Amino acid sequence: MTIKRITFLQELLSFVGLEERLHLSWISSAEAGKFIDVVGGFTEKIRSLGPNPLKSFDLEPWLKRMDSGQQTETGVQTSAAAG
Amino acid sequence: MKEKIHIRQSVKQWLENGTVDIFLGYRDVEGHAVPHGFTLADLDEVESMAASESRYALEKLAAKIHERHPDKIIGMIARDCTQRALNVLSIWNQLDAGKIKTITVNCCPSQLKDHAACSYLEPEKAGTGKKQFGLDPHSDIEEAASAPKHERFSRWMYEMQKCIKCYGCRNICPVCFCRECSLENDDLVHAGMLPPDVPIFHLVRATHMAGRCIDCGLCEEACPMDIPLRLLYRKVNHIVSEVFDYDTGSSSDQSPFSVLGDKVTLEPKPIHQDTLEDA
Repeated sequence: MTIKRITFLQELLSFVGLEERLHLSWISSAEAGKFIDVVGGFTEKIRSLGPNPLKSFDLEPWLKRMDSGQQTETGVQTSAAAG
Repeated sequence: MKEKIHIRQSVKQWLENGTVDIFLGYRDVEGHAVPHGFTLADLDEVESMAASESRYALEKLAAKIHERHPDKIIGMIARDCTQRALNVLSIWNQLDAGKIKTITVNCCPSQLKDHAACSYLEPEKAGTGKKQFGLDPHSDIEEAASAPKHERFSRWMYEMQKCIKCYGCRNICPVCFCRECSLENDDLVHAGMLPPDVPIFHLVRATHMAGRCIDCGLCEEACPMDIPLRLLYRKVNHIVSEVFDYDTGSSSDQSPFSVLGDKVTLEPKPIHQDTLEDA
């Protein structure tokens, strides 16, 4: 059931443009090596994706964009630059 | 017109012969159809019963009545979405299907019935601004998912940051019945903040719609900021049917998201001797 629920969340997050940031693995307390691999691998993946776009989410760039009435960069980059 | 008269007659009959204790429908008040409970005590009111395009989550009222008076039989006007909502509410133990009697009215057009009476068959046409920055509520989930990641993100965030946190989507929702709502939990949604934590507010609601949303569109109709909520929850329903093989609204099985089992497996708590003596 957990795997289904996580799959559900992954798909939902992906729909709103936040894919690949949620990971699920089963690791027993005896599997230290697997734990290192999974956490290390996921950390690398997140690093390559860059910071969470929501962290720099800011209303100001949106307002500016709407003032100018033109679509410039994507919201992520604009807000990252402003932040 | 014929249909309206027919419904009034049936309602009167039902109330008089005790088929139902209360009938939920709409009453004409200054030209507006407002939800109303018709009872035997005020039988004349049935004459002012209105049949119109207006919709309200009557089943939500029914669940509240049922909670207080579980023995009463509740009649109501039902559209297709009402039937689906009643199904979901009874699956989630909010209603007893045996205590509900419905009079079905036309709504969504189909091959069988071409004429429709519903206030929200189609969302409003998207303006240029919405098309440019947001999401066209007419688009389907495939279209909305086809845009590149950054664009999808920016479009959804544009829609969600418009939220004025009126809670209209939750309040109108026929299948929102939790006593404690996560959307009022200060750890998740901070009080007094506008827009409410983007996108947590809407994603929490979307997640809670899994296994419940019956795609009636009342949330989107109620939303003063035109957030394409129906599109978001349609995606939710789509994932639920893909991942859990569960069709919300039409399936009669327990929802895969229910935390309650079908049977009580725990032994009843032993009654303490002291408490018995006190009584």
